[in-house]
Amino acid sequence: MERRDFLASLGAATLASHLSLGAAEAPASGRITLLHTNDTHSRIEPFGPGNGNLSGLGGVSRRATLVRQLRAQLGPVLLLDAGDTFQGTPYFNRYKGRLDYQLMRMVGYDAGTLGNHDFDNGVGLLVEAMESMEKLQHKNPPFPFVNCNFDFKGAPDLAKRVRPYLVREFPGLKVGITGVGVAFAGLVAPKNHEGIGWRDPYESLRPVVQRLREVEKVDLVVVLSHLGYNLNGTAPDDLQMPGQVPGIDAVVGGHTHTFLDTPTRVPQARGETLVFQVGFGGVNLGRMDFAVAHGTLRAASGSALPLLG
Amino acid sequence: MPSVKPKPASLLLLAVVSLCRAAEPPSVKTEVLPITATISDDADIQKVIMPLAAEIKATFDQPLVQAPQGLLRGRRGEENLLGYWVADVMRQSAQGVLGSPVRFAITNAGGLRSNLRPGQVKVADIFELMPFENELVVIELTGAEVIQAVRESIIRRGGEPCSGVRAVVEGTPEKAELKVTWEDGTPIDPAVTVKVATSDYLYGGGDSIPSLKKGRKPFTTGLTLRQILLDQCGSLAKGRKELLPPPPGRYTIPVPIQEAIRDKKFSL
Repeated sequence: MERRDFLASLGAATLASHLSLGAAEAPASGRITLLHTNDTHSRIEPFGPGNGNLSGLGGVSRRATLVRQLRAQLGPVLLLDAGDTFQGTPYFNRYKGRLDYQLMRMVGYDAGTLGNHDFDNGVGLLVEAMESMEKLQHKNPPFPFVNCNFDFKGAPDLAKRVRPYLVREFPGLKVGITGVGVAFAGLVAPKNHEGIGWRDPYESLRPVVQRLREVEKVDLVVVLSHLGYNLNGTAPDDLQMPGQVPGIDAVVGGHTHTFLDTPTRVPQARGETLVFQVGFGGVNLGRMDFAVAHGTLRAASGSALPLLG
Repeated sequence: MPSVKPKPASLLLLAVVSLCRAAEPPSVKTEVLPITATISDDADIQKVIMPLAAEIKATFDQPLVQAPQGLLRGRRGEENLLGYWVADVMRQSAQGVLGSPVRFAITNAGGLRSNLRPGQVKVADIFELMPFENELVVIELTGAEVIQAVRESIIRRGGEPCSGVRAVVEGTPEKAELKVTWEDGTPIDPAVTVKVATSDYLYGGGDSIPSLKKGRKPFTTGLTLRQILLDQCGSLAKGRKELLPPPPGRYTIPVPIQEAIRDKKFSL
């Protein structure tokens, strides 16, 4: 509300100059669909019988089909994952995560982040799994990992493979993607995260989000978060993130295995943030569509644009 | 959640940046898409998975270790020796991971889904016994909390499988007394802090032992209970040993009190 009042009082001159520039340069609008998973936990095959209401759900191969169909229907799509790809089935015990990451590349993931369980076999085997995915012969490119709150100084092989953020451009719209991970204490044995430090995720996110907005000039900021949906104030989480770090449009969440039917809309200083998480084990695929219209007063005021079908 | 009130300076910056963007991206559609059997398999991915799935299934038939007497959960009035073995393995594995003593371990009998029958134990038998993905968690409790956890498990389940202590209930269903000592018979100092191995399920407050939720400094090992049982069978076989049931004697509870517990007419 305050923001809207301020914009109104800012004066037509400033507004007009921006608008006239924008109108000449920018395309009319852009749209993007975010598809996402979290905590897939080596569930290569669907859940077998005897798993309650999860029985028969999931499976990487079905996920691949669904993603392919949606890409064909929707056009601009980003397929994202919020971490904890590892641990949970004999596939992980046997293939040490190599299979999980290779299949993610085959499904066509655009970016992932690291959860605590991705460190379960230590940094060395995590890097090996990433490396095997990079070396796979496949038409899809290797997918990158994003995280901005781990300090990889003592783990150069992992540092090379995890970037603080990335920017992807689509017709009429630029998307910035970053990631945050949960604290190691109590979750990852010290020997398994040797050389990697953990920093406060909010403090780490602020400069990255600011850079994405102001330098990279993205239209949409997405955080892949393995902090957890709601930790009731005991530790940083997804629900508090928007209040602590303004300027995030979507949080693709994980860690708490929370089944949400729709994203939670959290108000923040610059509008609102959609916080989503879709259970675990690959039983669901989340979908969030965003549309951006350039240079229109209506969009600048923060009001909603019409729905896309 | 408190509303964020930006200072004027940051507000100005914020507004200008917003105008440069000239857009506030609103969501236009959100949904959860369940991955059900109605979605066909991707042929390329199936080609990769199928031979690996066959390999995994073949490992299910692999023999692990001989268990000439089997390990049984015990019938009415009998102790759960299978559970004692699981709790022993939990305690031992937790010590291995931490490199320091773990005095007590407790799990829930309800999570042990089948007996190990006498004879050859295969990988599939361990999966049948422990189909869940529960993880080994190490927490800190005081001696008093360890005793309370044992008490709760007796009241609700007649004593959940544990390792490291001996519990004796004396008296009658109307007037009973509980004595808990360490396994060697030495008294438990109520004020001492000890490491305790349990599952993420029990630590999370599932099932019968609410005191475990009070655990401090939780350490999630990333090891599933199933994996540590598989590993234990493997290392026994490697050392040319058999899998034998641990001796009974961890819970001593008079029959009338056991019956009162089953009838949910017992307090302690």
